Amino acid sequence: MAAITANTLTELTRLKVFYVLLLFALVLIGSSIFMARLTFQQEFQVLKDISLGAMSIFTSLLAIVATARMLPQDIEDRTVYTILAKPVPRFEYLVGKLGGVLLLLTITTLIMTALFLAVLSFREQAALAETTRQMAGLPQEQLTEALRAVRAATFNADLIPGISVLFLKACLLASLTLFISTFATTNIFTVVVTVFIYFIGHLQGTAREFWLQEHGGSWISRTFLAVVALLFPDLQLFNLADEVVTGAAIPLEIFLKTAALGCFYTLIYLLLATAVFNAREL
Amino acid sequence: MSEPAVAVTGVTKTFPVPFKRQSVIAVRDLNLQVEAGQVYGLLGPNGSGKSTTLKIILGLVSPTRGTAEIFGRESKEVASREAVGFLPESPYFYKYLTGAETLRFYGKLCGLRGPKLVTRVDELLELVGLTNARDRRLGGYSKGMLQRIGLAQALVHEPRLVVLDEPTAGVDPVGSREIRDLILDLKRRGITVLLSSHLLDQVQEVCDRVGILADGILVRDGPVDELLAVENRTEVVFENGSDELGQQLETLIRAAGGQLIERRKSRKTLERLFLDATRK
Repeated sequence: MAAITANTLTELTRLKVFYVLLLFALVLIGSSIFMARLTFQQEFQVLKDISLGAMSIFTSLLAIVATARMLPQDIEDRTVYTILAKPVPRFEYLVGKLGGVLLLLTITTLIMTALFLAVLSFREQAALAETTRQMAGLPQEQLTEALRAVRAATFNADLIPGISVLFLKACLLASLTLFISTFATTNIFTVVVTVFIYFIGHLQGTAREFWLQEHGGSWISRTFLAVVALLFPDLQLFNLADEVVTGAAIPLEIFLKTAALGCFYTLIYLLLATAVFNAREL
Repeated sequence: MSEPAVAVTGVTKTFPVPFKRQSVIAVRDLNLQVEAGQVYGLLGPNGSGKSTTLKIILGLVSPTRGTAEIFGRESKEVASREAVGFLPESPYFYKYLTGAETLRFYGKLCGLRGPKLVTRVDELLELVGLTNARDRRLGGYSKGMLQRIGLAQALVHEPRLVVLDEPTAGVDPVGSREIRDLILDLKRRGITVLLSSHLLDQVQEVCDRVGILADGILVRDGPVDELLAVENRTEVVFENGSDELGQQLETLIRAAGGQLIERRKSRKTLERLFLDATRK
């Protein structure tokens, strides 16, 4: 299993998927140039908003695109036969493949986080210097208070939980894509279906509220909505960026629930993928 | 008597046709046995069920009825594959890996680690003549080289049975000869080989026993020499004999009530001519 994980990571690395990081860096640098005209509070809010948004999009895209090609490609090239003709259970093959993508997502998220924190720190230093220069003649207490405000606007403790939740969302999407690819015959089909579910996942919360308001809460509609919610994860729950951007604290309970939900769906989709793949004639 | 390397008993495989209430029978009531140490050739036209049979033996496809065993273990058990190496038809391995990395990957899948794996990779590269190309990515390998690295990965865990699906398909005569020599080498080392092929001359040359599939049914099965022998004919080939000696033999044959069917100069095969002409 470890061999398949390592090989999948090598494959993705040599396919140069890390170029997505270059794009992320460009977004960060571009947005900081644009934000030079804003106040520092606005600047840090927008920087966090753009960075977390870009992280969410890039990790989700990477999870879907990197996973979608793995299984159909191995089957089309008959490479899967050479692997499964060895004493390798199908479950281990799938876990190995998913493991490679999750490892790639971990590395990518860590690098993006490091880049984001570096830019944030760089802008904080600039803001601190600017504030010190502007308040040069004012009393020390006022200056200290102003610098504290700058620091508070830059880093807040919820940055890391916010990013962790985005990472878990990407893991869930990778597992979902793997599941779809076990019965799909082409990469395009897998990507289209996953993106479709991605949108359902993001819209279902709003749609559910609207439905319940308009049609009331009969047991039929509640059952239907429960089934939809079970099949398609409510991806809007993984969007904690608003709290992170405004600096509001993410309650520990919400964070743990969201993380558990991400792990649960990742595991469920992996088990479903195994069930379908075990029954599949190669 | 020793355990057969492969035992297929009463296997039928049907595939449903999508969106129709029909199914296609790929293999019908197949009984097949390959003894340990044999080279067995499975022949048949396209769509006759050869690849399906090999996949059932390897546990990649489940039979609708019947059982398939490898050295006494049911093919659907993962552990049965510890004894098997497989080379599929026209495989594409991971192009981004080098020859040595490919063998290391497959070795790890079979549980090999450390110095044992390093030694085994070196041995196999030597065996298939790819030592010089060990650090080249597979994307730059020729078709013949890919088949050889494929054969090497099939052998990485020293299996007792090697299954080869069209091992010389698309390979030039020189590459094809090398693969046949490797198969004969495996036979010398006591490894059982089960192969499928369209190239009848090659099968005749390397196989001890053949089975012919047609429409999913095994229509012939037996030792090559027995199946090909023409009961009432004998061939005599001699060297450095005069025309006169030939005449005398002909007279003797007639006198004994026999009939001379053909008398001609011995010829080398077109393949031999090609190999001699292109040898560097």
